[in-house]
Amino acid sequence: MVLDQDLVRHLSEASVSVELETEDMTLNIGPQHPSTHGVLRLVARVDGERAFDVKPVIGYMHRGYEKLSEVRTYPQVTTLVNRIDWVSGYANEIPFIVAAEKILGLEVPERAQYIRLILTEMARISSHLIFMASYPLELGAATPLFFALRERERVLDLLEGVTGGRFHPNFNRIGGVKPAYGSGSSTRKVIQDLPAGFLTETREAMDKVLEAVDEIEALVAGNEIILARTKGIGILPPEVAASYGVSGPNLRASGVKFDLRKVEDYLPYHLFDFEVPVGENGDCWDRWHVRLLEIRQSVRIIQQAIDGIPSGPLQAKVPKVIKVPHGETYVRAENPKGEMGYYLVANGNQGPYRLKIRSASFSNISILPWILEGVLVPDIIAIMGSLDFVLGDVDR
Amino acid sequence: MTSSPSETETVTHPLQEFADNVAAAVGGVAEINFDTVKVKVPPDTWVASLTKARDELGLVFFSWLSAIDWSKDVEVGDPYPLEVEERYELLATVGDLTVGRRVVFSTDLQKDLPTIPTLIGVYAGADWHEREAHEMFGIEFEGHPNLANLYLPDSFLGNPLRKSFPLLSREVKPWPGTVDVEAMPGGGDEAAEGPSEENPEA
Repeated sequence: MVLDQDLVRHLSEASVSVELETEDMTLNIGPQHPSTHGVLRLVARVDGERAFDVKPVIGYMHRGYEKLSEVRTYPQVTTLVNRIDWVSGYANEIPFIVAAEKILGLEVPERAQYIRLILTEMARISSHLIFMASYPLELGAATPLFFALRERERVLDLLEGVTGGRFHPNFNRIGGVKPAYGSGSSTRKVIQDLPAGFLTETREAMDKVLEAVDEIEALVAGNEIILARTKGIGILPPEVAASYGVSGPNLRASGVKFDLRKVEDYLPYHLFDFEVPVGENGDCWDRWHVRLLEIRQSVRIIQQAIDGIPSGPLQAKVPKVIKVPHGETYVRAENPKGEMGYYLVANGNQGPYRLKIRSASFSNISILPWILEGVLVPDIIAIMGSLDFVLGDVDR
Repeated sequence: MTSSPSETETVTHPLQEFADNVAAAVGGVAEINFDTVKVKVPPDTWVASLTKARDELGLVFFSWLSAIDWSKDVEVGDPYPLEVEERYELLATVGDLTVGRRVVFSTDLQKDLPTIPTLIGVYAGADWHEREAHEMFGIEFEGHPNLANLYLPDSFLGNPLRKSFPLLSREVKPWPGTVDVEAMPGGGDEAAEGPSEENPEA
């Protein structure tokens, strides 16, 4: 056999340049990836099986809402804030509307406050159900998805029946709420309340949600593979969570019993009896389980609210064109993802002078470089998924 | 649920004592705007004030940091109705994790030289928020390890949330449009017909 001289030289050169040490590899996840809930890119340095120096690259969903709201009227801004966390669009409206009402000094009718509260909790249930579905799916368990999404549809149908929108209800007005039923038709001026049967149907739906939550818990909590992949993985100590501004269920999973529904007065939560579930270890499992427990508490709140909902008007008396007097305030609310707040600077005109949007997911994923340092590559997805973020809520 | 403005000095706000305590501890001036405690501190005690807030006042939770561009001339939206001093107001909100107290710390930065030391050493979460404020307002945070853009392309020129930054769509099509020029109803009967008389676009 005759060897080509060029090839021999080439092979010998190649063997010289081979290094005996392993090289770090740069791993790129995204921007498009099934587990990123939107468009997020992660760049990680991978040394063997472990990831280091993880850098989240965000901004793919940036829509500039803070700038846009400076040239929009208050009712128009409500449509923008719907789209921040689109999994719980309804809940985004509340702190913004309450901020404007605070500066206006408006007293919102009790019935409207109850309706806001019921729908906010329904938004929380639908958001958490999405998480119940997607998180096991990311870990390879597809079955819970069907239970969770079936119930989520039930809740969304009811939300749609009242507001006219599944994801973007745009239902709150300064001074109250506005049922979509009959709007635009000749009956518009007559029908000014919830659709007939809504409260009864909601009560029935809540019973079904509770059943499904039990089923999901039995499915997931008894699954050894899921437990092995989540218990003790991605532990987040409470001090670290606080300094990064991680809030909501992610914070409570780390054992911090702090819920804005208990300490703020944006909706009359003090009238209802509910518990704040907390985790013990702050790991992925606790973050999943705390959300499951929160669904049960939300159902409790809704059942009490349906029992106690007063009759009365749905709107305070407000002028046709609303101008909010000059002033500034910060209103925050316990959204499904965590603390959502608006720092509103009003200038006495039809739109804000400045609107700072504090969204939960932005701070919640700023923890990623810390929490993913040195973890196993397959755990990246397990930990990221457990933080339950939505990219619209990150980029705004 | 909604409370009266803090301007009414006859009634002491329930948060007044707390606000005064925070202001005394950090050497700032407290004000309460619609249930929001704001404490103004000079820029040179910014980091020291927030450190005290975290260590001595129990405000361990870092909520957000951002800024307001106070301008007499605005390219977008409406100007502020009162006389404003040209400045960037830097805001950082921190809170506790027990009873729900929260404070907006505020400091004023010169428009020609908006520079302030970074808060990363106090609250790790300030990292991304400062990057955002740098990108959107052009504020420089001394000691920040990486002030790269979070949202915009690296080649983007300008700081979009400055009031001097125009919004292209508004340049092309002026605002308000034809449906929004109705006069404010002059109170009384017309002002309160209930929800059926809502905005024309509804």
